[in-house]
Amino acid sequence: MAEDVKPTRKNLMEIEDRIEFSERGHDTLEQKRDGLIMEFMDILDQAQEVRSGLESDYREAQRAIDMARAMEGDVAVRGAASALKEHPEISTRANNIMGVVVPQIESTKVQKDLDERGYGVLGTSARIDEAADAYEQLLDSIVLAAEVETAMKKLLDEIEKTKRRVNALEFKLLPELRENQEYIEQKLEEQEREEIFRMKKIKDKKEAEEAEDEAAETHSEETEETVTADD
Amino acid sequence: MTQEIAVVGSPEFTTGFRLAGVREFAEIPDEEKPDRLDAAVEETMTNDDVGIVVMHEDDLEYLSREVRQRVERSVEPVVVTLGGGAGSGNLREQIKRAIGIDLMDDDQPDS
Repeated sequence: MAEDVKPTRKNLMEIEDRIEFSERGHDTLEQKRDGLIMEFMDILDQAQEVRSGLESDYREAQRAIDMARAMEGDVAVRGAASALKEHPEISTRANNIMGVVVPQIESTKVQKDLDERGYGVLGTSARIDEAADAYEQLLDSIVLAAEVETAMKKLLDEIEKTKRRVNALEFKLLPELRENQEYIEQKLEEQEREEIFRMKKIKDKKEAEEAEDEAAETHSEETEETVTADD
Repeated sequence: MTQEIAVVGSPEFTTGFRLAGVREFAEIPDEEKPDRLDAAVEETMTNDDVGIVVMHEDDLEYLSREVRQRVERSVEPVVVTLGGGAGSGNLREQIKRAIGIDLMDDDQPDS
């Protein structure tokens, strides 16, 4: 990987900028991840509560309908069930937890009065009413559970995503950038050393040449002198 | 946008919910579940009017892997399962994967 970059000063500066940027991003993402986990913990507590409430509601509802079935017969219960006119509806609103959109579910027409149910009051017994009551309550719990569990699923997804990003930065991108940075730095140093060495060589050569010139000059002067001396 | 609650399961399971007014339901007798539950769940989940699907935890066993994964991951509609106890399977797995620890461990006093 390190061989992909050209060891120039411009590239080095660019890489240094990117490292700084990535580190900043990494810190921010890490904070986001921790924040999300904190939010998640809160919701988890809530979810466990809702879950256990849901299970006990379900058991109760089952008992009520078993009772109704035993007393009234399956057909009567089914008949009453098919006669229902009002239907529970839910509407969702978006709620935002640290950038994660979680739904807030509201239900209407879950709890109904006796006369709203539509199966008549005379034809059926209190057992069936009880069962219907229990199931209405169960539906309320289900709506709550759906809300909390959706939030949990979304938060978990986001946590996983953020975690992957943090890890990608920490274990892939940043090490690679640092490797490149080091490579370029060493390469540049190497070039500098080569340059100094080259300079030295040139200087030596120049000095040697100058010395030679001087020597030649003094030699010629000497010969000149001797010539004049001869005169 | 108003949506409805849907129930998928055996007739015994759905009757109670219908008594509470649930209109969207798919009744599949126990002996036909291996063959028909997949299709019924798929159909219910593609219905845009449905916001919450209620199923019995045990019925997940009848689903094929693909559908089951969809049920477990789906957010719209969200599937709520009943009768499985607190540590509902997949969510727990997902928590383990995302956070790294099993937060739903029953043995822990209270975390």
